[in-house]
Amino acid sequence: MKFEDVKCKDVMIHICENLKEDLDSEKCRAIKEHIEHCTSCADYCTSVESTISWYREYDPGFTDDMHQNLLKKLNLE
Amino acid sequence: MSEEKLIQLAKEGDKDALRELVKQHEKTLYSFAFKICRNKDKAEDIMQETFLSMIKSLKNFDGNSKLSTWLYRITVNHCLMSARSKKKELFVEPNDDDELFAEKHAADWSTIPNQSLENKELREILDQSINKLAPDYRIVFTLRDVQQLSTEETAGITGLSVAAVKSRLHRARAFLRNEISEAFKK
Repeated sequence: MKFEDVKCKDVMIHICENLKEDLDSEKCRAIKEHIEHCTSCADYCTSVESTISWYREYDPGFTDDMHQNLLKKLNLE
Repeated sequence: MSEEKLIQLAKEGDKDALRELVKQHEKTLYSFAFKICRNKDKAEDIMQETFLSMIKSLKNFDGNSKLSTWLYRITVNHCLMSARSKKKELFVEPNDDDELFAEKHAADWSTIPNQSLENKELREILDQSINKLAPDYRIVFTLRDVQQLSTEETAGITGLSVAAVKSRLHRARAFLRNEISEAFKK
């Protein structure tokens, strides 16, 4: 498969299916080459990674009070 | 002390061992519950209910899976029960690949500057976007991408096939990415 044959939509689906997974099929190589030549697909790839990264970093925190409340609820004080 | 030993002691009624097991998993489970329900009070309730279930059923834990996997499974069940009390129309099931992967979405992200989570607007957008996503998809996305479990572990916890996990994951990723992009355009 040549990278010119790959459509942007194929790339978007592929990125979402295989993000960070090291696949080395003929299709993967064509997709990687497409991304290198297509700014919008490169942006799309970055944007999916950013989305995941934001949700990963978004931590609610855990306080001592919550720990104590939990032990109380479980009768483990 | 190993987790296996702690579990064995906890099964025998050792409160110190039980306390230690709770301490080892409380932050992870609270964070996970919060990332599913996006509400701190509800996440705390779900975490507490999960540990109550753990204490009640620990004698049945056979050790064939990791304790964390078992606890995730209990938390997922509590999250789904909580979500069922909400109207189904509040959620979006992202199952239209033609719309999710429309080429119009590919060029949009460049309008979004680099954002930090310090940005209150971004946090609100993240909450609103994931709150729209159907709970079944939200759970797969959170287990796989946020908690960084493997596809196989995610399948084991949710009771889905590996293929179904992959399908829900790539749709959830695309849905969230598109929602965030749309929100920044407004």
